[in-house]
Amino acid sequence: MAQENGCTTTEESGFQVVMVQGEVDLSWSQKLRKAILDALGKSQPVAVDLSKVSYIDSSGIAALVEGFQSARGKGQHFSLVAVSQPVIAVLELARLDRVFPIFPSLEQAAQS
Amino acid sequence: MSTAKVAAVAQGIGSDEVAVLADFSQAFATTLDVNQTVRQAVEQIAAHMNAEAAALFLIDGSKGELVCRACFGPVDVTGLRVPKGRGIVGRAIKQNKVQLVQNVETDADHAGDVGGFVTRSILCAPLTSGEGAIGALQVLNKRGGELFNDHDRDILRLLAVPTTLALSNARLAEDLMEQERIRREFQLARQMQKDLLPKREKDCPVVGINLPAREISGDFYDHFTLPDGRVAFCVGDVSGKGMDAALLMVRASSLLRWAGKEGTPPDLWLKRVNDEICTTVTGGRFVCVLAGYYDPISGVLEWSNGGLPPLLLRKPDGSFQQIIADGPPLGILPGIDYPSNRAFLGDGSAYIFSDGATDVRAGESETIGIEGFQELIDAVVELSPRARLRGLVSQLRRMQLADDTTLMLVEENGEEAQYLGGISICCDAECLRLVRKTVDRQLTALTVPTEVRQRVVLAIDEATANVIRHAYQGDPGGRMSLDIWRRGDAVEFVLRDWAKAVDAEAIKPRDLNQCRPGGLGVNLIDMVMDEWGFEKPEQGQGNVLRMVKRLQFNSAAKVASVAA
Repeated sequence: MAQENGCTTTEESGFQVVMVQGEVDLSWSQKLRKAILDALGKSQPVAVDLSKVSYIDSSGIAALVEGFQSARGKGQHFSLVAVSQPVIAVLELARLDRVFPIFPSLEQAAQS
Repeated sequence: MSTAKVAAVAQGIGSDEVAVLADFSQAFATTLDVNQTVRQAVEQIAAHMNAEAAALFLIDGSKGELVCRACFGPVDVTGLRVPKGRGIVGRAIKQNKVQLVQNVETDADHAGDVGGFVTRSILCAPLTSGEGAIGALQVLNKRGGELFNDHDRDILRLLAVPTTLALSNARLAEDLMEQERIRREFQLARQMQKDLLPKREKDCPVVGINLPAREISGDFYDHFTLPDGRVAFCVGDVSGKGMDAALLMVRASSLLRWAGKEGTPPDLWLKRVNDEICTTVTGGRFVCVLAGYYDPISGVLEWSNGGLPPLLLRKPDGSFQQIIADGPPLGILPGIDYPSNRAFLGDGSAYIFSDGATDVRAGESETIGIEGFQELIDAVVELSPRARLRGLVSQLRRMQLADDTTLMLVEENGEEAQYLGGISICCDAECLRLVRKTVDRQLTALTVPTEVRQRVVLAIDEATANVIRHAYQGDPGGRMSLDIWRRGDAVEFVLRDWAKAVDAEAIKPRDLNQCRPGGLGVNLIDMVMDEWGFEKPEQGQGNVLRMVKRLQFNSAAKVASVAA
């Protein structure tokens, strides 16, 4: 079932949670980038929920990498949670699966 | 008879004799049917010499027996056989001299009469060609109770000359005709053998060639496509040469085709044919056979070998692999099992050949062997499959080809591509979705596994996104097209744009150990695709990016792609 592309940010258990859905490609990856950087601006731990992402390309990955690097510079928590199989496959291909902190769920991210 | 002797004889003869001699020579020279001419000649001789009977005897076969080939007179003795050296006729041949017997009762050699004819006197002249005696010409009983005289003897000697010539010519002609007949028979056999070879098929990944050492061949090859898309093939080599080997070749090739039609696994295929051949082959004959299947979808070869040289695999990097695992030739031992082999052919080539290909000698040296044959292959490797086989054959011909030679090549035809589909889009990131959909649909139709499909979709998306971002730099007026081709076990994606030409040298994958946001797209393309690169567009400006992904198709894919 095709899902509408987009992302929404909510606050949950003290986290800024960026919920992404659909196919992340060049057509809107800039929106995702902005959403992630905005979330990081809130000085709270940030989790990007990728459970509803059916596709991601390098521009989407770039948004994630930028968020990760920005958070690390500030000593802020940044993690990917509930990563779908298509996203994991691309992260593996780009050898980024061991770079990002990845958790099965927000709860597990919170426990870390 | 020497020219001098003929001249001497001729001095004593009159114009009548000269006329007869001329008629004789003329008749013999122009005849197409020697047997009939000889019969007429015997009659004319009898008439001219005023004899009651005349007969022509020829030496028949190795025993030197004389056989009457033509006669004139009250009793037909045609076919009468006289043992070598017997009778006055035998004596004439033995002594190579005309026999004049005026009263046969006083001649101990007279063999006796046949059919109530009473012989009184005999005049008998030997027929002698350059190769020795071939027979004798005799006349019996001069009419009116007269006796044959010396003049008659000279006349008969004289008439014997054109008769001998005509007979020699006839024999030569017969020999020639017999040779011609045998040649025609061999030609027919060769044609029949050729007809048994498979017809040339366009785009078939299997090609073969057969080079007989003589008119007919003990070698054969065959290939045919099974309903499931696999191509069955076999190469055979019957022991010995000549007609008996050719006949066994016909039987073996028919059996192999019959038993291979059902797609039976190669080991069982050979076992079945072996058992069948064993029931009929005698005299130590046997057949070396390599038979198997090539699956163009999976790129896998499977085969069994019964006594043929090892299958030679030439890999894309140019290295060779000999796969030696075989059973004994067919026709020796019924009930035995054959091992079977499997190999992934992919972009490589498989060479199958009879031992004629390796048992040739370059000059005085040893036979070239499999290593020598590999060198020959390397020398023609740039040619297309069929031209390569022809090139190999002409190289082998230049050496001392001792045996029938058959070569077979299994190779995915690199030149033939199947168009799967494509899409034209404008320079808009919103169109990437359509591109992904198109690629995904084609790969799904080829039953490409999900994980691989996702990666390829990603790589094509990255390439397209790069054109939008870098080549067109977001220019909304830009357009591009993606075409998808199937070429053997590979899928080819051709992405064409009409933007300013990019610096192909500058587009390289970056070091992935540096974690940074951009420039990942080329890495993804590089990792997913087996080959990629820029080409010059055939027409107009722009860029052509060709990306190739080799896939391990499963065998159901062909059906699926047709259905799609």
